[in-house]
Amino acid sequence: MKNIKNKFISSLLVLFILVICFLSALKFLSMQKKEAVFPSEDLTSKKMLSAYLQSLKNTWGDTEIYIYEGQEKGGNLLITGGAHPNEPAGFITSVLLVENIQVTKGKIIIVPRANNSGFTHSDPQEGNPQRFSFETSTGRRQFRYGSRLTNPVHQWPDPTLYINPAGQKLSGTESRNLNRCYPGRKNGRLTEKVAYGIMELIKKEKIDLAIDLHESAPEYPVINAIVFHENSEELAALALMDLQLEGFEFSLEFSPKNLRGLSHREWGDHAHIMPILLESANASHGRLKGKTSPALIVEGKDKNYAKAAKLGRLFVPYGEEGVPLKLRVARHLAAVKSILSSLEELHPEKRIEIKNMPSSSKVRNTGIGPFLNPPN
Amino acid sequence: MPEYLIFLLMIAIFALLAMLLKLPIGVSLAFSALAGSLLGGEGIALRHLVEGSFGYFDTILIIVTAMIFMKVLQASGILDTITSLLLRTFYKKKSALLLTAMFLVMFPGMITGSSTTAVLSTGALVAPVLMKMGLSKVKTAALIAMGGILGMIAPPVNILVMIMGAGVDMPYVGLTIPLLIIVIPLAVAISFWLGYKDIKIIEYEKMRAVLPPSYHQQYGFRLYLPLIVVIVLMLGQSILPKIMPDIGIPAIFLVGSLIGLGCGRSFNFFKATQKAIKESTPILCILVGVGMFIQIMTLTGARGWIVISFLSLPSIFLYLGIATSMPLFGAVSAFGSSSILGVPFILALIDKNAILTSSALSAVAGLGDLMPPTALAGIFAAQVVGEANYFKVIRHCLMPALFELVMGVGVLISTPLLDKII
Amino acid sequence: MHIAYHLIVFYIVCHLIWYLFREKKFWNQVCAALVLIMFLLRVFLIK
Repeated sequence: MKNIKNKFISSLLVLFILVICFLSALKFLSMQKKEAVFPSEDLTSKKMLSAYLQSLKNTWGDTEIYIYEGQEKGGNLLITGGAHPNEPAGFITSVLLVENIQVTKGKIIIVPRANNSGFTHSDPQEGNPQRFSFETSTGRRQFRYGSRLTNPVHQWPDPTLYINPAGQKLSGTESRNLNRCYPGRKNGRLTEKVAYGIMELIKKEKIDLAIDLHESAPEYPVINAIVFHENSEELAALALMDLQLEGFEFSLEFSPKNLRGLSHREWGDHAHIMPILLESANASHGRLKGKTSPALIVEGKDKNYAKAAKLGRLFVPYGEEGVPLKLRVARHLAAVKSILSSLEELHPEKRIEIKNMPSSSKVRNTGIGPFLNPPN
Repeated sequence: MPEYLIFLLMIAIFALLAMLLKLPIGVSLAFSALAGSLLGGEGIALRHLVEGSFGYFDTILIIVTAMIFMKVLQASGILDTITSLLLRTFYKKKSALLLTAMFLVMFPGMITGSSTTAVLSTGALVAPVLMKMGLSKVKTAALIAMGGILGMIAPPVNILVMIMGAGVDMPYVGLTIPLLIIVIPLAVAISFWLGYKDIKIIEYEKMRAVLPPSYHQQYGFRLYLPLIVVIVLMLGQSILPKIMPDIGIPAIFLVGSLIGLGCGRSFNFFKATQKAIKESTPILCILVGVGMFIQIMTLTGARGWIVISFLSLPSIFLYLGIATSMPLFGAVSAFGSSSILGVPFILALIDKNAILTSSALSAVAGLGDLMPPTALAGIFAAQVVGEANYFKVIRHCLMPALFELVMGVGVLISTPLLDKII
Repeated sequence: MHIAYHLIVFYIVCHLIWYLFREKKFWNQVCAALVLIMFLLRVFLIK
């Protein structure tokens, strides 16, 4: 009798956990559904990253590439967002560009979700929401807030110790960090393949200049920064002056030669292009963040960070009013624009001409929604 | 409701369930996390609760497989044989025994960066030897726990420093000497502190009497194969990463366990696994519960409140803050502590040499593995020696932990001086 | 290695279920159930 009772309780428990698994699985799996991106009418072509590395086909590492080519030849620019899917300003800036621009001279290639797998899950113990949204003229558009790392379900297990393709020794989880995996490995782990695919894209498309859009926690020293390689030193310095004239404060950071595997180092060393990485201040992936919510991502108001700024613990101004996403995106857009005008000044033959580039001041004032295309 | 109030209520609910109602710690943590999500206005945040526990998925895999390996070592007679070998070698040499035991325990931690791995593998090997030489159960466990923690901090692999380094863009280079400066004196001092008085040099006859059966004659060299394979695979992935495949610690333990099937006394692998599962489930459940608890703390803002509170301390109290908060927060796990608190603290001390700072902070954060309710090093050390109450073990770790704390903070304070010397 | 780890997790899932049905103490069963949630979600490659 006791035995039967025990079996009954066990069965009930199994049923109970199956229900929990089912309900939480629905939530987890919902992250696999991509948010739609509606490119501007002037999109020349759309490819997948697997066009540059066949073995990425039908994997979670494959990702959309939007190509805009002008009538006239000029410079070739690559913009990557979403290398770290928990840094939304990079992702949203690239989406805004994809949905608005028209290129009349030169070529621009945009990868909004560089680490596509990272968008399909959230980091444990970070308590982040799965999505955030913007109001557009015809309704809300939602975007996923992913993880800094590739989904462990797509790349498993982590090594104990990770020696990245550039030879740096890192903790095992970093093998899932796209921005530690450059220049990638052709037959390596998924994240290394994505890095390799991006390197192939850079080489095959004859990229001259590449901008990797990121964000960092407000307590991190490299913030509101333009990180440059020695190949892009002049370009970065010139862009900085331009940005200062426009009222944006940035710091210039040289890409350390002993910190390997990052885009701003390996793109320059291996593909000999001019790489630049941009950082803005994102409270929602910091260690000091208060209550997490979609509002924290979009509005960036956080009393802990305001307090930390007062205590002098931050490397960036952070007031009670917060650092909203629209400002972070505006900073990225302004930087892209300044970098392009500096490119023209330094290398007139590489000039890239864009029409309908979302204006940073307008984005800052009216928000992101008005620049997103309504679902068609 | 303010975040600190939610946090205090979560703690209160946990204490009520665990202490008054005597519910298992893991279950109490899970319920208090659920209560926190309700109090924080998040409803039943099922996704968050389950997601939080995944923070420990890799640790749990290591624990289960290490436990299976330990059961295999016991069942196949390997453990007895090695105890017998060590006893025959060291029954007359007290200091050599203590230092060898300490090094043996530290070794797997040094090459994997995990204290649990150390405690459950070589910890289990040296424990019977120390006990047979007169060291009490709890002191043996304390020595093993501390050995595991020191192994985790010692070079070549210190994951705590790697985690902190990742947060401040510091490459993992040049850490061997600073880490050795911290670890070597501690390893010597702690092993002598815990063992020198109690371990007795014994006569040959007396030693013979406590000698467990050795299966060396019967099975020969192959008896040691599981251990050798595990050590070679672990060493290979840290020393020859380009040649040796890094199959991860869980797979290494399972490979070792499977090899153990044909190397000694025959045993039932299924039963050995069941034993491992039965003994580890309460601990695994604690980790699941802590994961849920932390996720809800972060969700409601309580985690941020704790971090900012410590960072708000006036700078003269900063070291005090480090010395208290990092081990306390280690209740989450030493890894969690080094990421959540270690990184802000390095940044607060940014004018100092980051290599030395992170080495010292890792020594402080490592103590988190003694902090209940997770107390991984303490719990597993207690289990290895067969002590039901791990608090007794932790009590004996207090003094050694204090040594380590003083060492960590000492190095932190003397960073400018050390910077000039090394 | 992915397949090997998948098998390891599957093996542990089987053992956890076996333990859940053999264990007599209710709270120990609950502990096993809480751990099992994670392992099931990983076995099905959901999380």
